[in-house]
Amino acid sequence: MLALQLIVDGILLGGMYILIAQSLNLVFGVMGVVNLAHGTFITMAGLFTFWFATHTHLNPLLAIPLVFGGMLVIGAIVERLLLEPLAKTGRRAELLSLIVTFGLSYVLIQVTLFVWGSQFVSLPDFQSTWTIGGLTFSEARIVAGAFAAAISGGLYVWLNHTASGKALLATSQSQIGAATCGIDVRSMRLIAFAVGSALAATAGALLILVLPLAAQSADTLTILAFVIVAVGGLGDYKGAAVAALLLGLIQSAAGYYLGGDIESIVPYVLLILVMLVRPQGFGRVIGAR
Amino acid sequence: MRTTLAILLLASLVAVPFAGSAYVLQLGTDILTFVTLACSWNLISGYVGYISFGQVSFFGIGAYVTALLVRHTTIPWYLAVVLAGFAGGLAGLGIGAAMLRLKGIMFALGMFGLARILAVIASNWSFAGGAVGLTLPAQLTPVAVYAEMAVTALCAFAVNAFFSRSGFGLDAMSIRDDEDAAAALGVPTTRIKITAFILSAVFPAIVGGLVAWNRSFIDPVSAFDSGIDLRTIVFTLFGGIGTLWGPFLGTLALMLVSEQLWAHLPELQLALFGALIIVVVLAMPGGLVGLANRFGWLSPRAILAPPVFPDVEPPPAPMPPASREPVLEVKDLTVRFGGVVALDRVSFSVRHGETLSIIGANGAGKTTLFNAITGFVTPSSGTIAFYGTPITRLAPLELARRGIARTFQIPRLMESMSVWENVLLASRHGKQSRNAVRHAAWALRTTGLESMWLEPAEKLTPGQRRRLELARALALQPTVVLLDEVMAGMTRQEQEEVRQVIRELKSLGVAAVAGIEHVVSAIKDLSDHMVVLDFGRKIADGTPEAVLRDPVVVQAYLGEPQ
Repeated sequence: MLALQLIVDGILLGGMYILIAQSLNLVFGVMGVVNLAHGTFITMAGLFTFWFATHTHLNPLLAIPLVFGGMLVIGAIVERLLLEPLAKTGRRAELLSLIVTFGLSYVLIQVTLFVWGSQFVSLPDFQSTWTIGGLTFSEARIVAGAFAAAISGGLYVWLNHTASGKALLATSQSQIGAATCGIDVRSMRLIAFAVGSALAATAGALLILVLPLAAQSADTLTILAFVIVAVGGLGDYKGAAVAALLLGLIQSAAGYYLGGDIESIVPYVLLILVMLVRPQGFGRVIGAR
Repeated sequence: MRTTLAILLLASLVAVPFAGSAYVLQLGTDILTFVTLACSWNLISGYVGYISFGQVSFFGIGAYVTALLVRHTTIPWYLAVVLAGFAGGLAGLGIGAAMLRLKGIMFALGMFGLARILAVIASNWSFAGGAVGLTLPAQLTPVAVYAEMAVTALCAFAVNAFFSRSGFGLDAMSIRDDEDAAAALGVPTTRIKITAFILSAVFPAIVGGLVAWNRSFIDPVSAFDSGIDLRTIVFTLFGGIGTLWGPFLGTLALMLVSEQLWAHLPELQLALFGALIIVVVLAMPGGLVGLANRFGWLSPRAILAPPVFPDVEPPPAPMPPASREPVLEVKDLTVRFGGVVALDRVSFSVRHGETLSIIGANGAGKTTLFNAITGFVTPSSGTIAFYGTPITRLAPLELARRGIARTFQIPRLMESMSVWENVLLASRHGKQSRNAVRHAAWALRTTGLESMWLEPAEKLTPGQRRRLELARALALQPTVVLLDEVMAGMTRQEQEEVRQVIRELKSLGVAAVAGIEHVVSAIKDLSDHMVVLDFGRKIADGTPEAVLRDPVVVQAYLGEPQ
């Protein structure tokens, strides 16, 4: 029964992770940029949602449109000012953008600390639990997990079944090819980064319902997102979804059996293991292709 | 300029302890700490080009090794610090062997994760004090710490100087510019990377040990503080990454300015450094040294370049015909990429003294064939033999050493280097490595690049770039030269010059030449032997006259007759 409970918890946690990872995947796929400030977008949105809900006493889910819109704008600004100039540097662009977002993450973590302090906080909404057949389901996890999975599904449909989404996917496969077909690659990069940032913010607004967050959680979340994407295969959306669930399971089991410290480094250990054993990811192996 | 700078710096280095101010002494120690860290980071991330976000791992390892040694043994402090450096180097060997297989962002993020894993291990290891940390007896006077740090910083700077002047540094920078092309020129990339990584681990470990002494206390948070990496990276970028003076100048400038700033705004330090990284990458990628270069100061000198163009080596003697065996023999070579068969059971051989040309339409598999021969692509089946010895699946480095040189379809020069350095890089790893300088000069004169030997490679015209690739291949003193569309993008005049070089090759110690060409007319009269590929299969093989009259070839090139 305990094992089953851990599986349920793991899957619900993994549902959250899907959104965290897919937003990074979108940015990486189209721009070839790993955004090291990804985690700070998540924590900033989460802490804003906390502030919003505790001050207005409104349903925290109402903050989602706000953080989505806000981060859409911030993401667009970051892309135009910081990342677009690097797109012309050719082979060095990948590393240079990594260094730039590394710098950005420090700026944003310090801003977050300055505004909201270093206290870990979580929202007390949706605290009821349901017991079905001896298994406990936390309302918060179901609400957040369901929202996150639905939004990830929406992203998938957008990318695969609409003209603008397909243009993005085409750009992620070949920028030159896409440009030849009349796709404005520059706008695609802008859209990908803005939407990726907005989705990260959405994930943050949902995550604060489930997990305590603080400014300093940012790095762990960035690595978590990157590990999921790396395990699933960079740019592989189905692979990432499976990897997110897998990581949720591993983390909830590690947290129970080995303690919180180990739970917190699971992403880092997996990061190094995956990269050393199979840098191209497990997307094909887990049959998600 | 350099000498004045060096004398001034050494004088102030000695003067600091005599200032009689505890504040100045501590500031001096802090600056030297980061000069050492920045110089070390510059080795692996600046020269070799593997950006690490986790060199603080070695700082932490050094701090812990020192603390544990001091608490559990009676060895003198300096020995504890030396052992910390040794432990750092050992850790660097193990970690480097595993992590340096990763490239680019993967390596950067892997190192980032490693520092965090080590922090968690330290905080769960009760013998090492767990999350609380360890205290050390305060035995060292501040002056002793300063002196030791000064020595360490000088050593780290000296290693940087070695990288910026020596052939070893040339190899390191070639990895940064183009690792695959470096391997094809015989650069032992793995060995160089790991050596540089070990050096960039030893100094942080020593510094970690000294800082542990200086503070009399360590804990996982301060030992594996990612803020240390942030500062190291900012200082190096600000000064000029991959340069000798950059890490030092960047650290000095920013530490002196920021010291004043933090007194008033301590909480803003990391945010400002973060912002500075962004500004430097976007607005002044060369850092302070890049700015100085514009005024002609601190400009890099070509490595191992004599003051005037050196005397050239007499041309190598023609290879005596070794045996009647073919020089290069390809048998049933098949290469598949997923479901695509790029090469389908291709067989041919190149004999001594022969010039073979391989022609075919776009996508016929010509470049894949060269990539398979030179170890860049692993064949699915089939064999390749060099003088009868199987060489299938050998690494590019090993093939270059055995005397197989190549050029690339799109020239892959070391863009940050001069023409001279590009050629010297190859000649140092070729068969003439003992008189590399004279041999490099010979290769440049033969290809007509002598007059521009000190030009940066990135300034060359397309035709000159191809000639430089040819010069690099020759500098290896190869037995076989594989030329991938060497005449594309050249003017008529340049084509004629290169054709002349190809004609001469066999009197210059080269046993055989194989060339891919698109323009059949440019190579027809040079070739003794021609192979035609079409959709991965060989459709003709023979003398140029016979091959070009072959109806199958004509059809593949011109289509079905009406």
